[in-house]
Amino acid sequence: MWRLNKVRHKAGRQGDGLEELRLKRREHERALRQARRDRQLVSKRLLLSEDEEQFNKMTNPTNLGPEKETNLKALSKALRDPSAQLTFIKQENSMHLLVGLLTGSDAQCRLQAVRCLHELSHSPHKNVAPACLPATSYLLTYLSGPSTKFTELCLYTLGNICPDSDVVKEKLLAQGIIPALTSCMENQRHNLAVVEAVGFTLSQLLQTKDAAEKIIPMVLASRLPSHLLSVLTPDPKFGLAPAIECAWCLHYLTCSSEDNRELLSGGALLQCSSLLVSLGRAVAEGNKDEGIELLVCPVLRCVGNLLSSCPVEDLSTQVGDVHLVVALCALVQAYLHTRPALARETVWVLNNLTAHSNEFCSALLTLNLVPGLIQLLPFSQGINTMILRILANIAHKKKEFCVQLTQLGLLSALCATLKMMDQEMVTLSLDVLFMLVVSSPQVAEEFVKQGGLSLLEAIQYNGEGERRRRATYLLEQHLLSYQQYSTIT
Amino acid sequence: MLQPEVVQRLTAGDVSVRSCHEESLTGDSEQQQQQRRQTEEGNPFSFTPQRLHLHRDHELFEDGDIQRHMYLQDLYISEAEDKPTLSVSEFACHISGCSSIFSTLEEYEHHYNSLHRHVCCSCRRSLPSARLLDIHIQEWHDSLFTILAQRQDMYQCLVEGCGQKFRTSKHRKDHLIRIHKYPPDFRFDKTKKDRGTRETKTQQQKDAAMEVVDDVCESEGVCEVMCNVLSDQPEQEESMETHVSEEEAVRMAKPASTEELSASAQGSESTSSAPPKPQYSYRVPSAVCFGHGSVRGFRGRRGRRK
Repeated sequence: MWRLNKVRHKAGRQGDGLEELRLKRREHERALRQARRDRQLVSKRLLLSEDEEQFNKMTNPTNLGPEKETNLKALSKALRDPSAQLTFIKQENSMHLLVGLLTGSDAQCRLQAVRCLHELSHSPHKNVAPACLPATSYLLTYLSGPSTKFTELCLYTLGNICPDSDVVKEKLLAQGIIPALTSCMENQRHNLAVVEAVGFTLSQLLQTKDAAEKIIPMVLASRLPSHLLSVLTPDPKFGLAPAIECAWCLHYLTCSSEDNRELLSGGALLQCSSLLVSLGRAVAEGNKDEGIELLVCPVLRCVGNLLSSCPVEDLSTQVGDVHLVVALCALVQAYLHTRPALARETVWVLNNLTAHSNEFCSALLTLNLVPGLIQLLPFSQGINTMILRILANIAHKKKEFCVQLTQLGLLSALCATLKMMDQEMVTLSLDVLFMLVVSSPQVAEEFVKQGGLSLLEAIQYNGEGERRRRATYLLEQHLLSYQQYSTIT
Repeated sequence: MLQPEVVQRLTAGDVSVRSCHEESLTGDSEQQQQQRRQTEEGNPFSFTPQRLHLHRDHELFEDGDIQRHMYLQDLYISEAEDKPTLSVSEFACHISGCSSIFSTLEEYEHHYNSLHRHVCCSCRRSLPSARLLDIHIQEWHDSLFTILAQRQDMYQCLVEGCGQKFRTSKHRKDHLIRIHKYPPDFRFDKTKKDRGTRETKTQQQKDAAMEVVDDVCESEGVCEVMCNVLSDQPEQEESMETHVSEEEAVRMAKPASTEELSASAQGSESTSSAPPKPQYSYRVPSAVCFGHGSVRGFRGRRGRRK
């Protein structure tokens, strides 16, 4: 199982300076971004054993006598080194021997043998994973066993090797990894460390290339989704880790399907949105749970994509709590300056929530959340355009809403956004302005009083295509009759 | 060929209808509003609320994915180390030819108010107030004024509220210096003859910090050129015309906008009383200069040539 503070613990032991660590992290981040661009973003996990000591020199695996266990321990430590890993798999019969120990009668040897395999699975070299194939059927069998530490190691080993090659992935599928994961989850539901490991392994499977073709339908047809949902609410003692893994699994499931029928009928949206409400509340109250954003992120994404699949008439029943809008606005405010990308994802969810729902649009108004949204209009890189969409969603519903929006100061905010360099902002601003202006004569009058005519004229004269047409239309069809209200300077 | 919003409504289908009916609507329903909008001629507004389904590899998900994998690789820390860059939208001056960009609205407003308000369409001078602009146009570009000034006191005192008028600009200047204690080289009281010295100034758009009178906004060039379209020949005194830069000539060559403009300009010229002409909120619209409406700069030229 994982604890976030392990990072610092590890750093302290290795004696890295703070600056070195920062540089290392930045370097890693860069590499990860590039990997994502190349669609090669894959990670492995290494489960550290309790007694980490200095590495001993590597023992020849064929030379195992009565001190088998000690030697195996030494071997597993030696196999931490990537070049040792390569050497090991090149030796004839080395894997065969290891598998023998893995399936032997000595329990401690089995544990150490699986440790060795785990080290091997963590290898950066792609050809190590296929070398582990002889062991996989046993690893899968052991998943339904009772031993927890052992099961954990089996799981992480499997999770590490499945993205490495298609051959491995196909073999694992054929050997029944999905039913194995399902029964493991069911049998060890009380053991959150194992649950976390199942979540991790499943997420690795779901992230593979072409997962949508075979793996995802298989998973959706199994009982796994309901188990994943049941783990979502974090256990206060154990921590967030199992919920994090399961949430990411659900994200990979929801983003690859257009209709998400099975998940919706299984109550996924209800569950995820109520979790989001409690997470929002926690964050707003200043909950200092380390890594809570690691859970907020995938849950947000699940809700966002499930909302886009949910039939509009089911929206109220599927979402349940109208206070979801409060939670979302709280999350935006909380993350705006510290994690703007997460704030951006949050406003995307808010857009999906408000697009076809009078109820949620109305809630934003009655719960007085709109002024907060208007204040977000200066922030670029996708935040303000999405905010304008949300405001447009509201305006689109009823004339009454338009009037309320105007009373909350949207018109003067639009007078500023119409001057922005971002063309999409200008176009969206014109769209919103149009809806406001046609809603009531008072709004048109107010806009003209605020000096809107010259603004539109400038757009009309200097703008391109879409913006010019919109400005012209607004001026000619709706605003010129209010000319007398424009202030002559 | 269906409009995009109609297609969307068809695919959304019954769904949106059913969702509306339970609300007690005081205004029009969304559907009715949509229909009315669509029947209006040439309505370019096509916004419809849209739910966005994002695929795994979408760029919106990049940062979150990176954090996830940093966590998997034991490299994640909760407090962000470097302050993430939350960027703010910039503002851009809309005036054609002015490519200034500003990081705050205040800067934009200051720029616009300093350089693009109260601009004389004919000679592109920017005056500090509507009143001074009026006086400028009258004295520099109105032939009727020149005629009347031969027989009566036409030169107004520049100080608001004074109300006195003078036979020549020199008299006025003396008055300003003597009575109102103005500096002898007051910038906004140049005589026409003085203009020659200023013509050599670059037409490049400068910062608001520049002296306002000397500033020439390039958009006025287009406007300027349009003025030429209306009259047959440029006026002799106004040597600004000869300074039409290459850029402006290129812009003139742009078929779409200028044809449109000259068409509308010519169209309105033929009808002397075309109601209701758009009256803009500032005297000489710096950007919109079609030749119709209250654009004072043209008054002096119409019917002036032989």
